[in-house]
Order: sequence, then C-alpha cells, then structure tokens
Amino acid sequence: MRIIAVAQNTFREAVRDKVFYVLVFFGLATLVGSKALGWISIGQEIKIVKDFSLASVSVFGVLIAIFVGTSLIYKEIDKRTIYTIICRPMARYEFVLGKYLGMALLLGVTTAVLGIVAAAYVAILGGNVDATFFYALVLIYWELLMVTAFATLFSSLTSPILGAIIVFSIYVVGHATGILINLPEHFDNTASKTVLEFMYYIVPNFSNFNVRAEAANDVPVALGYVVWSMVYGAVYTGMLLLLAAVAFENKDV
Amino acid sequence: MDAVYTENLSKTYRSQLGQRQPISLDDLSLSVAENEVFGFLGRNGAGKTTTIKLLCGLIRPTRGTARIFGEDSRRKESRRLIGFLPENPYFYEYLTPKETLDFYGKLHGLSATDRASEWKKLSEMLDLGPIADQRVRSFSKGMRQRLGFAVALVGDPKLLILDEPMSGLDPLGRRAIRELILKMRDQQKTIFFSSHVLSDVQQVCDRVGILVKGKLTRQGRLNELLTERVQVVEVVAANLAQAAISDIARMATANRVSETGHHFIVADLAVANELVKMIHARGAELVDFIAVRESLEDYFMRVQDDCV
Repeated sequence: MRIIAVAQNTFREAVRDKVFYVLVFFGLATLVGSKALGWISIGQEIKIVKDFSLASVSVFGVLIAIFVGTSLIYKEIDKRTIYTIICRPMARYEFVLGKYLGMALLLGVTTAVLGIVAAAYVAILGGNVDATFFYALVLIYWELLMVTAFATLFSSLTSPILGAIIVFSIYVVGHATGILINLPEHFDNTASKTVLEFMYYIVPNFSNFNVRAEAANDVPVALGYVVWSMVYGAVYTGMLLLLAAVAFENKDV
Repeated sequence: MDAVYTENLSKTYRSQLGQRQPISLDDLSLSVAENEVFGFLGRNGAGKTTTIKLLCGLIRPTRGTARIFGEDSRRKESRRLIGFLPENPYFYEYLTPKETLDFYGKLHGLSATDRASEWKKLSEMLDLGPIADQRVRSFSKGMRQRLGFAVALVGDPKLLILDEPMSGLDPLGRRAIRELILKMRDQQKTIFFSSHVLSDVQQVCDRVGILVKGKLTRQGRLNELLTERVQVVEVVAANLAQAAISDIARMATANRVSETGHHFIVADLAVANELVKMIHARGAELVDFIAVRESLEDYFMRVQDDCV
C-alpha cells in the first residue's frame, strides 16, 4: 500500500512536469524524422526507419531514466519533502522501492507510447512489425529498468549531476563489455587481464538487451534468449535495489 | 509512560568526506509526560532541530536512545504515534491539499473511507475547504502552515512534534497556531515544540527545556523556572501638583511624562505601595500600577548569559 502510494505519486509528479512532455515530444519527432534518413539510404528505407525508431525509444528512455532517476531521492532530501514522509510508519526500503516503481511505471508508459507510434509508423510505411520488433521493445524497457536501478542507487548516495555522469559512464561501458573479455594475446598471463576479466563479470552487459539490428533486418530472435536476458536484468536490478535500500537505510536526511 | 524519553542522546554529523563535525547534540536526557505541552528552546544551531529529527527517525543517533511512548525512535512503529510539522514545511508543489492529505493517509495505512473522513475532519478544522483544489505551489506561508498542521494530524497521532510552528507567520497566523496547540492539548495530545517566539511559548507550555550549544542546560515547569519576584513596578498618576511630582520622583528610580500622566519606576512593591499612598494623600489620581515579573524571554537571556 505505502510502496504503491509512493510509486503513484512519483508517476504523478513526472506526468505533471512539462519536461517529461518535452522529452516525449522530441522522442516522437525523432521517430517520425527517421524517414528522412530512410530517403538517403536507397532501398533500405524500412530497415532504417525500424532501426532509428527503436534507437530513439531507447535513447529518450535512457535520458529520462538517467536524468529523472538520479534526482529521484536526492530531490526529496534537497527539497525537504522527505521529512514528512520518512516520519510516517513506513520502512525506508518501502520509500526507495516506491520511487523506483514510480519511475518504472513512467518508463513503461513512455516506452509503450513511443513503441506503439514506432510500430504504427513502420506499418504505415509498409514494413513488417513482427515478434522481434516487439521483443526489441521489451528488452529496451528491461534495459531502462536496469539503468533506473543504477540511477536510484546513486540518487541515494550523491548529487544528480555526479550520479548522472556515473550512470551514463556505466551505460556506455555496459554497451562495450566485449572489449573487456576479447583481449589481444599480449594481455595473456597479465594482472591487467585478470582485472579486466573480473570487471567483465561485474559491469552490466547492456548488449544483452540490444536486438535492434535483428528487428531492423527481420532476423528472428529466440524467445528463450529474450527470457534469459530478462532474468539477467531482473537479478541485476534486484541487487542494485537492495544496495540502494541499504545505502538509504542509515542515511541522515 | 512518558510520551518522549531520551537518554544520553547525542549526535555528531559527518561531512561529505566522512570527517566528524562539531557535536550537535550532547548527552540529552529528558522526558515529556503524556498530555504535556513541552517547549524546546535554544538559539539557532543549539540542536533543537537535530533533537526533533532524532525523535522522528530522520537521522540516527551517534550515541544514546530516544523513545516515543516506550518505542525506540529508530523503529517505524514509534512513528505511528507521531505527527510531525517541520520548520517551513515542504510538500509536493504539484498536489492539491486534498491530494496531499490523501497521500499521507495512504502512507499512514488508512483505508479509502478513513482517508475521506480524515479530509472532512481536518479540512473543517483548518479551513482547507476553500483551497481544496488549488496546487500547493500557489500557497502563502500561512496556508502552507495550515496544510502542514493538517498533514501532522493525519492518523490522529498521540504526540505532535512541531519545529518552529510560528516562524514567519503574521500575528493572526501565530494566534491561530497557538489556539490549535491549546485545542490539541484539550484533545489529550502531547505536544513537543520548538520556537523562538518566547511569548507564545510562555502562553501555551507546561514545561520548557533550554538547549545551549547542544547541551540541555535547564528544564522544568515555567512557574518553577521563572522567579515570582517582582523586578520593577511602574506606577502611573495623573493630576499631580508640581511639588508632589518632585517629592514622589525622589522615591523612584526613574520617571517620565506621557499623555496618560506621570510614570514612576520603583524597585519593589513596598516602595510602590508607599508611592501610591502619597499619590492619594496629595489628591492625585492613580491611573495604572504595573508589577513587572520575569518573563520567559528574560529567563532565556539569563540562561544564555550564564552559559557564556
């Protein structure tokens, strides 16, 4: 009940904020504007529109997740709205979880709106909207949930600016984890290799959630792969939220 | 059982880099009985808000314990019994008072029916009806304070903790808050509040505690702390002849003339009585007789001076 109340309120705060609509508007504009790129790529218009529209869902989702997410808890402390909330008979983890779920709901609605418009746009242009396109959207959302969990964790630890820089860095590294494991031969038997390989298992592998190229090229993706990626994301997200709750538990506000 | 009980409660904040700051609250041991109005006084930075935050579970003590009706203040169960009004209360700007109270009702675990009846009761008590659907962002200080009081009362808590409830309010607003505090006392609630407006504290409190630099230096009932001894007496007389004025002025420590008459300041009641007899004997009229006793403000200043 209390978690849901905080989540509803977080969602309500975002949808009553003009910045959210500006981001969604730009998301929609970029998506529709993808046709312009289609024109300059002869014969591959649908492919480009699919790829670009899915990328825009992901990019604008990540922007919302990072910039709104990293201020989720910090803003409550900074604006002192937290005083009258934490002094209620609720556990602190309920607050953290509520804030996270509110963001998850917001991103769910954003992804759904942008995703539906993208699918409709592709269909109008004569493209094929198949299961892979749907899988790509689901995995984008799952990736956003994980990014938001990172943002929530850093929101309870540091300022939004520093938090955003850290989460963005993790996001970038998380999309290039391959370089940590596929090292050149001269790294063999070195301490650097051990450290980098260790990092490979610690850093989130966001590439697991990227099937946009398959969706654009109508290459089927196995449902098992989608489920496996979702389980990976859920476990990682769960651990991040646990850390966020622990970090917030004894924090002086 | 005491409504508030603290034992050696201490708090030292840490900086961002983990360094210890000067101690904010030092070995605070106090108790507030049920249905008591307790005034918590101190200069800015004395540790009042730190104490309040510790009681409300917003910060963790470095040492010592705080109990609310016997429950450790770190446990969420203790907060079921607390209604908290922070200094300059901040609420979500995008919500209306009705939505705000509904939100806090949910946090308190109230059902939809209970939340509706809480709104009815509190909006009538604090006159929130006319602003029920306005966003908080457009509210004046007084309106925010009324809403803050309503939020603190959600769930009918037994203990109200109010941090500077009169700060920044105009005289009417201050009076309204004072009356609310007295009304809450009549409803058998315990009230723990900090304030700089010492005249208001004197009017509503049963007991006070004074913090100086994080240490509780005095606590007790007002009638025990404030000396009953008259500090000075001001006698005002009219229609005095010039010769009488000179004679009486010799008995006074100071005198002045106003539209009302001649004002004579004397050191104690015995001299003042002699002076009154003289006024009557000279055929003049006694206009006023004011015995000035120590106020809470005088006492507060005396404590501050003692601690320097």
